[in-house]
Formats: sequence, structure tokens, C-alpha cells
Amino acid sequence: MPRKYNITVLPAPPRVPPPGKYVIVRSEECINCGRCTHVCIYGVHQRLEKDPRCLAEPESQRCKGCFRCVQECPRTALTLMDNETYTQLGDSYWTPEIITTTWYQAETGKVPVSGAGYAGPFSGSGFDGMWTDMSEIVRPTRDGIHGREYISTSVDIGGNVRAITFDDQGKIGVPLPRTRSVPLPIIFERPPFGRSEPVYAAVAKAAAALDTVMLVDAEEYCERSYAANLVPVFVAAEPGHARKELESCLKTAPMVEFTYDRAVLKVVADARSITPGSIISVRVPSGEAVEEIVAELVAGGVEVIHLCADRNGRTLESTESRFVTDMIRTVHRYLVHLKMRDRVTLVVSGGIALPEHVAKAVLCGADLTAIDVPLLLALGCQYCRDCLHGRACPVGLKDLDPDYGAQRIVNLMAAWRNQLLEILGAMGLREVRRLRGEVGRAIVCEEIQKETFDRIFVKEVFNHAKA
Amino acid sequence: MQRPEIRFAPSRFLNEIGEVEVKRAVSSCINCGMCASICPFGVHDRKAGFNRIAKPLSYLCIGHACEDEPFYCVDQCPRKALSLVENPLYRTIGDRRWTRDLILGTWKQAETGLPLTGLRYEIGDSGGGFDRIFFTFESAERGDAEERGMISTAINLNKRAGEQLKIEVPFYGGGMSFGSISLSVMLARAKAAQAWGTFTCTGEGGYPEPLRAYDDNMITQVATGLFGVSEETIQRVRIVELKYAQGAKPGLGGHLLGDKVTADVARMREAVPGCSLFSPFPFHSVYSVEDHEKHIDWIKTINPEALVSVKVSTARDVDMVAVGSYYAGAHIIHLDGSYGGTGAAPDIAKKNIAMPIEYAIPKVHAFLKEEGIRDKMTVIASGGIRTAYDAAKAIALGADGVALGTTELVALGCVRCGSCESSRGCPRGIATTDPELTRALDVDWGAQRLINLYASWRSTFVEILSKLGMRSVKELVGRYECLLHLDYLTEKEVRTD
Repeated sequence: MPRKYNITVLPAPPRVPPPGKYVIVRSEECINCGRCTHVCIYGVHQRLEKDPRCLAEPESQRCKGCFRCVQECPRTALTLMDNETYTQLGDSYWTPEIITTTWYQAETGKVPVSGAGYAGPFSGSGFDGMWTDMSEIVRPTRDGIHGREYISTSVDIGGNVRAITFDDQGKIGVPLPRTRSVPLPIIFERPPFGRSEPVYAAVAKAAAALDTVMLVDAEEYCERSYAANLVPVFVAAEPGHARKELESCLKTAPMVEFTYDRAVLKVVADARSITPGSIISVRVPSGEAVEEIVAELVAGGVEVIHLCADRNGRTLESTESRFVTDMIRTVHRYLVHLKMRDRVTLVVSGGIALPEHVAKAVLCGADLTAIDVPLLLALGCQYCRDCLHGRACPVGLKDLDPDYGAQRIVNLMAAWRNQLLEILGAMGLREVRRLRGEVGRAIVCEEIQKETFDRIFVKEVFNHAKA
Repeated sequence: MQRPEIRFAPSRFLNEIGEVEVKRAVSSCINCGMCASICPFGVHDRKAGFNRIAKPLSYLCIGHACEDEPFYCVDQCPRKALSLVENPLYRTIGDRRWTRDLILGTWKQAETGLPLTGLRYEIGDSGGGFDRIFFTFESAERGDAEERGMISTAINLNKRAGEQLKIEVPFYGGGMSFGSISLSVMLARAKAAQAWGTFTCTGEGGYPEPLRAYDDNMITQVATGLFGVSEETIQRVRIVELKYAQGAKPGLGGHLLGDKVTADVARMREAVPGCSLFSPFPFHSVYSVEDHEKHIDWIKTINPEALVSVKVSTARDVDMVAVGSYYAGAHIIHLDGSYGGTGAAPDIAKKNIAMPIEYAIPKVHAFLKEEGIRDKMTVIASGGIRTAYDAAKAIALGADGVALGTTELVALGCVRCGSCESSRGCPRGIATTDPELTRALDVDWGAQRLINLYASWRSTFVEILSKLGMRSVKELVGRYECLLHLDYLTEKEVRTD
């Protein structure tokens, strides 16, 4: 059994208090009777310290929306409303719920738990259009939570041999490809905005603490410590000027990534001639016929493909954009069909916002995922995107303490990992590698609806069955 | 059976939340009493012996629908001291599954025992499942009172050999443990179940002594944690539930966080106060149908009279599990879908693991039928049954009856704030074992609220059955032709409807 992987969590309270979900307003009707201070168990209502005859302004941020003070106030002086600062966080993809739950996990490293069942919509698009399966009674499950049974979340990045041969002395007779194991099916992508020195430093430090890797721009690679955890990204179209950097990177970096270009295979071959053993990844933007491009690259000997969608998980076709899950399934199936799937590691990025997205991307056929926005959120980003318009960051990410930031990311990953264990354990899997492409363990809304409801609600089918 | 009496059971709290707010300008009001004399809904009241009119009970107001009525107080007030405004609280309360109208509607039913009409009290806003399934009533005829009186809502829980076990209404209380909810709530549920001749379940947290008086209406649960399970508790009851999984956290064991493990709870569960309790998953003694059979045999050896119910959640192969359970000797297969759950559950599990109950019911129903054993097995559905309509739809999709959890808590005043698990538990005194908070709920009041809710649900069932021309709820099982799904309507049909 491998050494147990453990992530050390330390509480890291937010630098800027997050907006509460609710606002409580106390009207002039209030007679300072103090009933609310007795019924509220969260400490929203308190008397003024200076003058205990009066009640202080409600501390709405602590409110959990139980309505008890509102309903018990003898003067109906209290009103509970949704906090607009909360509801206006983020956008339709990076919802207020996602942002605040990420903050909570980055602060505490705990799995978010709540009561009263699921309150959200029936299903949705993208990742929400699918459920993961579970086992009961007839299939062994794994009790992964709290490490009661060991479930591995580690994956290998790099190539694979199709068959091992042995020579006369019984030694392995084929060259084994180099691989880099990461203990989580998650690596770090360059944040789409809000990049600054402390942000970089925090992410790199977290990557090192977690033993995963972080992608960085090639020109910045050499300036950084943690070289064993950084993957420089080169623009394939401009290999000439970066030749010297490339040479030095290939010697120290765990992996090198090139952005896709028609001539990328030549660039890869060139790099291989420098250091034959290096792991080389090609970053392919998801567009038309992406599966054919991937197949061509795999056939050409590329052992890692990084498929990118935009930060909301939409693919980059000019005409009809798909969700990243559909793209992964297409590529995975195509590679399986060509008997090439085992020769390549598929990294997927774009729209990975929650731990279930990691599991679902892997279910659809990815080996691992790269995350971007969640890193920023962990650092306290409010996803206001003001920085894209040249405005100052409301939480001052530029003044972040990298150690504190790294701990927040480590906490987030600890929480994500525990949630992955829950999903894997429920499915009865002992390692995340076994989850790859296991669509039989996914319950896709459209498919299950067809399977069960067509025979009930399609009139012709129903009448036919009756006859 | 003598049906229990409906008695008015208003909210425990001073200000019940309503859709609108009736405001009285104290400076203009001359306390003439005009409003109190005309309002048929009791919004305005001058209590005997008082000069002043009491604060308006806004939640009873029917809102803007009243505007054209001769008793519209805003128009009739001689001093124009009254106004009708939207209640900001009404906008805050509720979520996609349990919309504001479903919550307030359930409160109203628990208060009055009368069913409500209107689509907003039938469906939520989840955008799928029950919220897109409707009954197709051939005629809107309700039948006369006598005919309606003959309609039966009773179901039989034992379809195998042996004594029948009839319950008067096609629903019973789902498992909620001592620890996740308070003893008062458990007692209120048990009392209501006794009054209506149905059952309620202890959950996995043991069998508190005060529930002994209700042994004949209790189901006791044997779950993976085996908290408080003894041979003696199994021998007390008429139904024993083996909980393999639960819908709120499929694939995970029960969670009770440390703060809620008070001294009493810890004693009942033979655990340490303040320590979080995570039940294992799965039963580590069951990895096959043969093991499952051994488990059921064990229960039957201890209590040969009891029915055995098997609670599972909705995995992909839930239909096989149901058939396996039949051959293992179970009487009831209880499918717990992923939208219910009353206690603590990881958000990731609630949202992502296992399929919605709407798909699982017809899957199991069809497979049991194919195997020729549908008439030997009772199918109970739960997990997201919010209204009598949901329950009836579940039955039409193939269940025999349903189990209720969240709905009952809402009837007791839950607003679904989702903080059941944290610190001292429910701030409204329902899902908590904190001695101070528990006092906020009186057992008799709670029992009456539930009795009223059951009565309202039963009336709704009778109405649905009479509109469908059926005499018994048993006729409704698996009657797909009574249902339509909005996703399956042709464009033309949508337009004409």
C-alpha cells in the first residue's frame, strides 16, 4: 500500500469578511425589548456595549435566515432580506454559492455540510446534467471518509508502454517512459486574471506543499523557486527565441507544455532531441474536430494533451459551442476507438469550479483536471473582474501574504480531496484512476429520462407496449 | 376507523409570515372596528374587552385578490388608515424545491387541516421531475359527497403471506433519529401516526423510552451504526427497517456532528458526548444478496411477526436491489431519492450522488412487474415528496405509498434554512436536542399540526381519486396513463393547454 497522502489543514480566516447571505433591518418600531437577543442563537442581535438600554445594529453577516427573530418580534420591527451584495457576486456560472463555498473551504479545509436536503434545481446544463452512481448491497463500496478505507487519488502524468518485454537476464527490455505522479487529479493552471507576484508565489507554494504542479509562462519559469513543481508553457509558434530557455527548462522542469500549432509536432520532436526523456504536453484549445487533432498528436508521440475550454467550461468552436463534458466524452471515445487512449494523459481545464466537476470530468474520460478560477477564489477573490478593467482589486490581492494564500489553497484542496473520496467511496472505487471514462457510473439526466420516461410519457410507445 | 379531529393550530410564533402585509397607520386609525366587522378571514380583530384593534394578522389576508370584494378593508376604512404592501419576507423565504408558496402552504394546511387549491401549492420550481409531471383528469367532476366518502386511501404494507398490515393513509413518517431531531418532535410524530393509524420511524439513533407508548405505530431502524439497536427494541415493533443507504447522502453513512451529540443523545447511542458520529457505509457484513438475506433472517428470528422494510437509495441498479430484497425475504422496499434528507449531509452528496426518485420509482415498478413479483412487494418512495400531489404522482409512477420527512418538519414550522447540523442545531427548535431550543415546541401542538397536515393530504387524495374515477388509492399504482410530462407534450398540445 502506498504511503497515505495527507494534507495539513490550518484555519486561514478571510482578510475581508465575506458578505452575509441576508440583511436584517431593524425599523424605528423597535422598543429595545431584547426579545431578539434571546431567540437568536447566532449572535446577530446584541445590546449596545456603550449603552445597554439600546440594541446594536444587527450583525447581519452572522444571520442564517431562520426567521425566528422576525417572527418573534413583538413590534414586527425586523425584516429579513436577501443581501444584494451576496446575490450579485460572480455571474451565472461562478454563482454566489460556488464563490462562498470555495471561501469557506479555503478558510476551514472542511467539507461543506448542511441540513434540510437539496434545495437546488432538478438538474441543469453541463456538469449539473449528470449524477454519479453509488453502490449498495450487491457491490462492495468503500468507506473512504476519514480514511477508514484507503482510497487513492493519485494519477500519473506522462506516457505509457503498450507492452513490457524482458531480456535474457529478466530485465525490462523496453525503455520506460518518464511519468510524474501527482497525488490529486488536479494541477494548477495560470489564473485568467488577477495575476501578481504574491498570487504566483502563493499558488506555487501551495503546489509544492501538495506535491502537484503549476503551469507558468515560460519566460517566468527561470525566475522562480519550486522548480520541481512548475511546468513552463511555451508558445509553439515562437520556438526560436526561446531555445535557450527551453533547454534549461527541459533539464529541471517536471514537464513542459507547448501551445498547439500546426507545426507543434516538429517543435516536440526538436525538444525530444534535447532531452529524450522529458514529459511533453501539448495544449489544445477545444475547437472544431478537436478529437482528430488529439489523435494526430498522440499518433505523433505526444504523451500528454491539455484540452482547454473557456473559464465557464464552454468549448471554443466558432459555431456551436459545447460544454466541456461533451468534448471530453467525444475525445475519450475517439481515442478508445483508435486504441490510443492508454498512450496519452488527458488534462482538462475550463469551468472546473467544484470537486464534483473534477470527478465528473474524470468520469467523462479525462485523467485529471487543471483549475484556475478556484485558486483565485481561495485567495479571497470576489470574481468581480474589476482588475480586467484596470480597476483596483477590492480585496487587494496584490498585498497578499504568499504563505497565507498558499495555506488557503492547501485547505481548499484538502476539502476537495475529502469530497472526491466521498464520491469515489460511494461508487465503490479504490482509486481515481479507475474512474476514468467509467460512464457506466454516471447517470446522465437526458439518458435516464429517455430510458425510464419514454415508455411512460411517449404516447405511441405506451400504446404499443399496451397492445 | 375513527378519523382524528382537526383542530386549529396556529403558528408557535407571534408573527406568521404571509404573502402580503396589511399595514395600519396608528396615527390615522380611530379604532372604529369597521375592518374587524367586515373581514371574513380574521385579519382584523378587536379582542373582547379591548378598545384598540389588534395588530393585523397579515398572513390570513388573501392579498390583492381581495381588491374587488365588498369587504376590502383598505377601501372600506373610513380613515384610509390601512394599506396593503408586499411582504419583503415572502420574497426571502423558500428555495427552488420548496418554494415560498409550498412552505407557507404547508404551514397553512398544518394550521387548518384544509387543502389548498392552486398550482403554486402543487409544484415547486425545480424545473424537472414532479414539477413537470401533472395529472390528466378526464373530467373535472368531483363526484358527490357520498361517493367521496366511499373512497379509500388505505394501503396494505404486507403483500406476502401472513397478516395484512393496513395503514389508513398511503404515507408514513420516514426515519429521523433522536439526535437529528428532538424528542418532542419524535413524540409529536408518533402521536399523529397513532391518531391516523399509520407509522413513524425512529431513525438510526435508538428508541427513546417515552416512545414505548406508541410501539404499535413505530418503525425502528437498524442502520449501519447500529446506534441504540437491541433485540428488545426490535421485538417491540411491527415493522423493522434495515437502512442500507439514505437519499440525502447516498453512499455515505449517517452524520451527526459533535455539537448535537448531547449527553442524552450520547447515552442513547452509547457514544461520547461532543464527538461527531459518522456511521460506516455500507454494512460491513453485507456484500451480497445472500448476506442481505442473512440480515433479514436475523431480524425475523428476533421478531418473527415484524415486517421487514429495506431502505435503499436510488443507485443505477436499484431495480435489481429491489428484486434481490424480495428474494431475501423483505416485505417493503423503501426507495429514498436524493432530494430529501433532514439532517446533516455533505453538499456534494446531496447534489450529485444517485438519481432522482422520479426515475427510480418506475424503474423498480417495471422490473418487479417483469419478474412477476410486483404484487408480493410493497414499494414506498421518499426523498422530495413535498405535497399530496407529489405523493399521488409517485404512486401513479408505481409506488404503493410514500414516506415523509421534511414535509412534516415544515408543518412543525421549519423554514428550510439548512442549519440543522450546525452548533446547537435548529434555531426553531425542531432539528435540535439543545434543552433550551427544544422547549420552543410543544408535543401536543406538534401532533395536532401533523394530524391537520395528514387530514389535508387525505382530502387532496380523495379529490384526486374522485376526479380520476377511482375508488381506492390502490387502483392508482402504476397508472402511467393518468400522468403527463411537460417535456413530452407536442408543441400543439402545449399551446392548447
